Amino acid sequence: MQASIQRKASADPTADVVFETRELSRHYGSGDTLVKALDQVSLTIAPREFTAIVGPSGSGKSTLLQLMGGLEAPTAGEVYLRGQAISAMSGRDLSDFRRDHIGFIFQAYNLIPVLTAAENCEYIMLLQGVPKAERQARVDSMLNRVGLSGKADRRPAQLSGGQQQRVAVARAMVSQPDIILADEPTANLDSQTGSDLLDMMHELNRREGMTFVFSTHDPMIMERASRLIQLRDGRIESDEVRA
Amino acid sequence: MLLLRLAWRNVLRNRRRTILTLLSMVGGYVIVTLVLSVNYGSYDQMLEQYTRDSIGHVQVTADQYLDRPRLQRTVPVDESLRGQLSQAQGVRMLTPRLESGALAYGEERSLPVEVRGVEPDQEDRLSRLSNRLSAGRYLSAERDGHGQHEALIGARVARQLDLEPGADLVLIAQGADGSLANELYTVVGILGDTEAVESRWVVLPLAAAQDFYVLPDQAHRWIILGDDFQRAERLAAAVRSSLAGDANWADNALQVSPWQVVAREFYETMQADQQGGMIASYILIFLVCIGVLNTILMSVMERTGEFGVLKAIGTPPHRLFGMIVLETLVLATLACGLGFLLAWPINLWLTLVGIPMSEPIEVSGLYFSHFRGRMSWDMFAIPTALVWFTALLVALYPATRAARLTPLDAMRRL
Ligand SMILES: Nc1ncnc2c1ncn2[C@@H]1O[C@H](COP(=O)(O)OP(=O)(O)OP(=O)(O)O)[C@@H](O)[C@H]1O
Ligand SMILES: [Mg+2]
Repeated sequence: MQASIQRKASADPTADVVFETRELSRHYGSGDTLVKALDQVSLTIAPREFTAIVGPSGSGKSTLLQLMGGLEAPTAGEVYLRGQAISAMSGRDLSDFRRDHIGFIFQAYNLIPVLTAAENCEYIMLLQGVPKAERQARVDSMLNRVGLSGKADRRPAQLSGGQQQRVAVARAMVSQPDIILADEPTANLDSQTGSDLLDMMHELNRREGMTFVFSTHDPMIMERASRLIQLRDGRIESDEVRA
Repeated sequence: MLLLRLAWRNVLRNRRRTILTLLSMVGGYVIVTLVLSVNYGSYDQMLEQYTRDSIGHVQVTADQYLDRPRLQRTVPVDESLRGQLSQAQGVRMLTPRLESGALAYGEERSLPVEVRGVEPDQEDRLSRLSNRLSAGRYLSAERDGHGQHEALIGARVARQLDLEPGADLVLIAQGADGSLANELYTVVGILGDTEAVESRWVVLPLAAAQDFYVLPDQAHRWIILGDDFQRAERLAAAVRSSLAGDANWADNALQVSPWQVVAREFYETMQADQQGGMIASYILIFLVCIGVLNTILMSVMERTGEFGVLKAIGTPPHRLFGMIVLETLVLATLACGLGFLLAWPINLWLTLVGIPMSEPIEVSGLYFSHFRGRMSWDMFAIPTALVWFTALLVALYPATRAARLTPLDAMRRL
């Protein structure tokens, strides 16, 4: 499967590949203490995929997502977004790249505590220079789609953990990125709330075609993925696509 | 708008700390306003008195007289000139003065004195000279029963020459024509005490002085008083243009100078003094700065993780920098607003009522009885600018720190 995607990618890099990593490595330390957090990982992500990255603690899940999102520079290898190499980008370009092409969802503390749910979503569009009327319309519809239409004016502290993560999903979606990278988005939630969040993300994936890559420890969550990439010691151990 | 709201809410986030910071900024603002106001107010009071009592707001003299006074460098005392001067916009009072030196003789001793020829009534109206009498009565322009002109003398002259009101005073000097002048006067009053500015004066009616020095219809200065010593420059300009408008005086080499030029040295030392008076408030501002810097640094450090997330989702460094600066300016603006509300009534009271001193203090011959404020817009504008500017300065370091964070390092601190 992976091979077939790569072949298509070389024929038309923008059509079927959003993301590609080539021999991506990230090492920490040196000599005896050298840690290969990521070791020559090559993979491609097609549009509309709903991919889970799994693996034991320390296997490199967070590192992979950080490199893909341009939060960290690789030791070797390259990350391409629609055929464009992101390691060539300077600081400001990288910052704009993250703003326009990547939606991030972290494990916790995603939101600005002093802004309401709606304002948190609006903030990123403000950075993008989206006009006010459009910002408002997009926030309304996005909060609606994550099931928080009545909670737009609440601050994060007035929302439950699951609701906060929904706002984080809404914020990641509202900037209309190419891909959403979520590092253990359910880790701080109880399993029911975590499953609900995943169902909602999956729904957005199916209905709106948003590409998701998320990492998780939770077997219940893995079940919902359409593709499962297993990491061990910084390498891909298996990469399986489910029906 | 969202950014301003964000800044505002961040300011309100830790209320206790915000209130403490605000208090120190407001305190700084109020104290600087009041120090500034009392400083300027007291100098105003002093200058008001000084210009009125001694040099006027504007003087008209012969060219170069101010730099190198000579007996011969005179201005005409002439009704048409007087008329032309008093027509100038803003002139309230004017009077001529003749000034030179002489040797005074009493019974046994002699003393060099400063002779002033004045028009007694005009002079008193303008400089309130009669207020400074410590003995006897004020000068009249009339000759007394013996055909002698009257004279007022300074306290030192009185003591050195052992003169009292009613006594005879002899003056000797060289007249403008080179002849030896020598005349007898009747002392009618004594001015001030031996420490006063007037202690070596001998004040004569102008006509008597003109006779003595052989300067008919002449004097050395026209002293002009307007409404406000602070508007002396404008008054001088008005006088100049009034003179320029009259063919008689347009070509005459008359020099019109505001008091700042007449008493240049005095003015300059006074300004230096005033700067010195502000040092205390600069130190205060510095202390306030340290406090505010500490607060802002703390609030930035606390939010390191949050900034990491903001940067991760694409907030460029300059936005984050701007956010911190904006927060600080919001705080500064708030402090200025509150400071103004607090300082305004106090300053008004200081200006209108003032704080009486237990004993009047004397500064170079001038007396202060009250600490007084000055009610003018710059008393508030200067502290506002100071608070704003220092807030901006103080914000630079924390803001730079926040802008330089790398998102991952910052987020690890969550
Ligand atoms: N900043 C760093 N400095 C040194 N070593 C690091 C750093 N970040 C990660 N590592 C190491 O790299 C390896 C991969 O870490 P990573 O965080 O990607 O694992 P993970 O799969 O996300 O684990 P977890 O499931 O616990 O979140 C680990 O051995 C980790 O100790
Ligand atoms: Mg991790």
